[in-house]
Amino acid sequence: MSKPKPIEIFTPPNMLKAKAGGTGVGLDAAALKRAEAAMEELKTEFADWMNADVEKLGEGRDAFAKRPCNETRGQLYRASHDLKGQALTFEHPVVARMAASLCRLLDGSPDVPLLLIDAHVNAIRILVKQNVRDVSDPTTNAVAAELEAQVRELQAA
Amino acid sequence: MSGYRFDRLKILVVDDNQHMRKLVVAILQAFGTTQVYEASSGVRALTVMRDESPDVVILDWMMDEMNGIEFTREVRTSPTSPNPYVPIIMLTGHTSADCVQQARDAGINEFLAKPVSVKAMLARLTAVIEYPRPFVRTANYFGPCRRRRHSEDYKGPERRSEIEIIDQAAS
Repeated sequence: MSKPKPIEIFTPPNMLKAKAGGTGVGLDAAALKRAEAAMEELKTEFADWMNADVEKLGEGRDAFAKRPCNETRGQLYRASHDLKGQALTFEHPVVARMAASLCRLLDGSPDVPLLLIDAHVNAIRILVKQNVRDVSDPTTNAVAAELEAQVRELQAA
Repeated sequence: MSGYRFDRLKILVVDDNQHMRKLVVAILQAFGTTQVYEASSGVRALTVMRDESPDVVILDWMMDEMNGIEFTREVRTSPTSPNPYVPIIMLTGHTSADCVQQARDAGINEFLAKPVSVKAMLARLTAVIEYPRPFVRTANYFGPCRRRRHSEDYKGPERRSEIEIIDQAAS
């Protein structure tokens, strides 16, 4: 009786290459150019998309404020996490930074003060409303740094 | 130039955020893909997997119903999986080392961090076409090989010293 194999390694047939073909040399410059143009075209919609994401964040905040529990905390976390990823793509880096801070707050603290959640949500609302995107703006940097410090302090306690 | 026929590929985009789906779909269509399917959760994505047999899946992590990690495990290990070998590219804002490790342990092929960049998206698609990883089956893992590099200088314990390598086409 043969010893059972601890690990099997095998190579499935490369159906993808068979279908897509290609030379395999470098990235397709023409495809890149077309996709960059498509992204530029979509940028006109980014502001509306950001507004929708911020609205969703507000709904998450309201649900948690009304009924603080794991379910509503999860809803708020998902909204802030979405915003963290989306805001960078939609060219709102400061919003992404604050959303990341809110994610850390919701992810790592057993008790989350609503006041600190509101500080994040309100700051994000103002940034989006006023279309603040400049990462070097001293005021927004100071607010972002203060929010991050408050989260660190809470989690260190 | 690589001249891929993206029009021959079926790509499934799974994300609960409709804006992100729209963006990814627009990028894929600009690459030349004409058969793009969308799903807003892992559960819905499994239905599309069964109905449309996509060639590649681009997958978000955090979703209601079934998240990206649960979906990947289901695709790789369920006896009813429509295609356990389908290349999965995870597109996510979860970028910590722990998260990347967790995604690899679930069986994803490639990891793509948000923000979305067209160059990175094309690079990951090219990677799954040109450099498919061998598959590994152990007592507690089934999926693409998680080792990125082979190091000649590696001096640690060799966990695969007793491996039987079956380098053959999967049936």
